[in-house]
Amino acid sequence: MIDNDKIIGELEKKLMTFGGTSKTQNVGVVIKNTDGVIVASGISRAVMGEKVIFKNGSIGTILNLDEDNASIILLGEASKIKEGDTLKTSGQMLGIDVSEELLGRIIDPLGNPLDDRPKIKKGKNMPLEKIAPGVVDRQPVNTPLKTGIKAIDSMIPIGRGQRELIIGDRQTGKTAIALDTIINQKSNKKQVICIYVGIGQKRSTIAQVIDRLSLEGALSYSVVIAACASDPASLQYLAPYAGCAAAEYFLEKGKDVLVVFDDLTKHAWAYRQISLVLRRPAGREAYPGDVFYLHSRLLERSVKLNKENGGGSITALPIIETQANDISAYIPTNVISITDGQIYLQTDLFNVGIRPAINVGQSVSRVGTSAQTATIKSVSGKLKLELAQYRELAAFAQFGSELDPTTQKQLERGKRLTEILKQPQYSPLSENLEFLSIYAVVSGLMDDIPLESFPRFEKDLHEFAKKRYSNVLEALSTGEKPTDVTLKQIAKLVSEFKKLFE
Amino acid sequence: MNYKKIDKLVFISYKNDSLDQKKVNKISALLSKSDLKKYINGLKLTEKKKSLIISSPINDMDLRRFEKLFPNKKILFKKDPSLMLGVRIVDNDIVYEFTLRNSLDKILNHIEQNYD
Repeated sequence: MIDNDKIIGELEKKLMTFGGTSKTQNVGVVIKNTDGVIVASGISRAVMGEKVIFKNGSIGTILNLDEDNASIILLGEASKIKEGDTLKTSGQMLGIDVSEELLGRIIDPLGNPLDDRPKIKKGKNMPLEKIAPGVVDRQPVNTPLKTGIKAIDSMIPIGRGQRELIIGDRQTGKTAIALDTIINQKSNKKQVICIYVGIGQKRSTIAQVIDRLSLEGALSYSVVIAACASDPASLQYLAPYAGCAAAEYFLEKGKDVLVVFDDLTKHAWAYRQISLVLRRPAGREAYPGDVFYLHSRLLERSVKLNKENGGGSITALPIIETQANDISAYIPTNVISITDGQIYLQTDLFNVGIRPAINVGQSVSRVGTSAQTATIKSVSGKLKLELAQYRELAAFAQFGSELDPTTQKQLERGKRLTEILKQPQYSPLSENLEFLSIYAVVSGLMDDIPLESFPRFEKDLHEFAKKRYSNVLEALSTGEKPTDVTLKQIAKLVSEFKKLFE
Repeated sequence: MNYKKIDKLVFISYKNDSLDQKKVNKISALLSKSDLKKYINGLKLTEKKKSLIISSPINDMDLRRFEKLFPNKKILFKKDPSLMLGVRIVDNDIVYEFTLRNSLDKILNHIEQNYD
C-alpha cells in the first residue's frame, strides 16, 4: 500500500515543474509503412536511435535519417499504423528499465513482463545503445568464470569479462553449454548474475530453457530476455542490446554478469531483414555493410572493469549456428574475429558420443591460462599436450600398421582422456572434482580401469571423495597449486576406491 | 525525376513569396503522374513551412504579437476549445504548447508511468 500523502506530495513537487514552462514537440506524419518499417516526414529535429511515439501509443526507434524523411522501426504491431498518422519525437534514446526486480523474470526487449507475475516496478532506465567502456576503465581478464564443464575449464578457460563464442551446427549442444554455465554459477561465493537472451528462438525452446533454469534453482539469479521467432524483426534486433543494457545496470553495482546471446545468427538475420526493407545496399549474403559493426559494438560492451570503477564484469557467451560445419561463412568469421576465442562443437563428435561435442583442436581461448586458477593450471598443461599427441598419433594409427608400446600407451591414455572429458548435461562439476577426475587420468591412476566403466567410476569416485576425503577436496578448492602431500593423498584416495569399485 | 529536381521546380514556382499560377500550370502539364504527386507534396511542404497555425480556445486573439515574433510566416488562427486555456503554436513540424490541456496531460502521464 503506497502512502497517500507521499503520492500527493510527489505530485505537488511535480506540479511546480509543470506550470509556466512550454512543451516543444517535434511532430511528423507517416508516409508509408512497409512491414513494420515506417517512413515519416517532418520530425526535423529527430536524432538517430531516438524513441518516437505514434498517435496510438506505439513506439518506434529511428534507424535512418534522410533529407526529407526518417525511417523508423516499429516496436509493436505493424498493422495498426497507417498513412497519415501523426507521431512525435520523445527526446529520449531507446532504453530498458532495470532493477533487482528483474531477477527471476522473463521479459521482452522493452522490459515488459512475459510471465504471469505482477508488473515490474520502474527501475533505472538503461540505454540500449551505449559506447563500451574505454581502455582506462578496464583491467585484463584475470578471474575465471567456471562453466563446470571439465573440457572447457581445463582447456578453453573462460574469464570474467571475456567474450567466448559457442559455435556449431544445430543440435550439437550449444545452448546446453550456456545453460550448464548458468547453472554452475549457483555455487559461486560472489554471485554472478546471469542473463539469457533468446533471439529468434521458438517459444517452446524458450519455455524449455526457463523450465530447466527453474528446476535447477538458477532462475533466482537470472533474467530471461526473449524475442521469439514470431516477434517482429525489430524486437529481435534489439534483444541483445537490451540484454547488455540490463547487464550494465548490475555492472555499475560492481557485480559480475554473464550474458548469453542465443543466437547471433538469427540476430543478423533480423537485422538483414530490417536493412533490406530500409533499402540499404546489400552486401555479401545480402547482409548490409555494417553487419560487422552490429556485433562488434555489442560484444565490445563485455568488460572487466578496474577496481576504481567498481571491479564488475560482463562476460559474453554469444552463440552462432553454422550450416554443415562451415565456420568460414560470413557471420561466423565475423563473430570469431570479434570474440576472445571459440568453443567449436561438431556433429560427428556428438554422434559418436563425445558430449559435450567440443572439437578441442579448433577451440581456443585467447585469454589462456590467466583465466585459470593455479589448481586447474597445474593439470591442464599436461592434459592439452597429451591430447594433442593423441590426435597426431590417432591419425597415423588409422593406417593399421603395427605400433610400438610407447605409442600404444599414448593412444590408450588419449582414449582415457577423451573419455574423462565426457560429461552429462545439467551436471556441472565444482573445480575440486574437475581436478580430481582429470588428475586421476593424467597421472595414470585410472590406466587399469576399463573405458566402459569410466562414467560410473568417476561418479562413484566423487561420492567416495566427498564422504571420506573431504579434506582433500577442501585443499583443492583453495585455488592454490596442489601440494605434493595433496597429490599423494589423491593417489591414496583413488587406489583405495579402486579396491571398493566392482 | 529525383527529389532535388522536384525541389528546384517547387522553388521556381514561387514569385514574390506566392505561387505563380502560370508557372504551376506549365510545370504540372509537363510532369508524369508520379512526378506530379511529388511536385504537389513539395508545394504542400513549402506552404506548410511558410505558415504558422495558432490554436486557442478563445475567439478574440490578438495575432499581431505573433506576427512580430514570426515575421516571415503566414499566420492562421484555429479555435480549439479542447485546449481549455492558453495557446498552441504549430510551426511546420515544431509544436509549442502553452496550454492547460498540455499540463494536465503531463500530470496524467506522470501518474500512469509511476503508479500502478
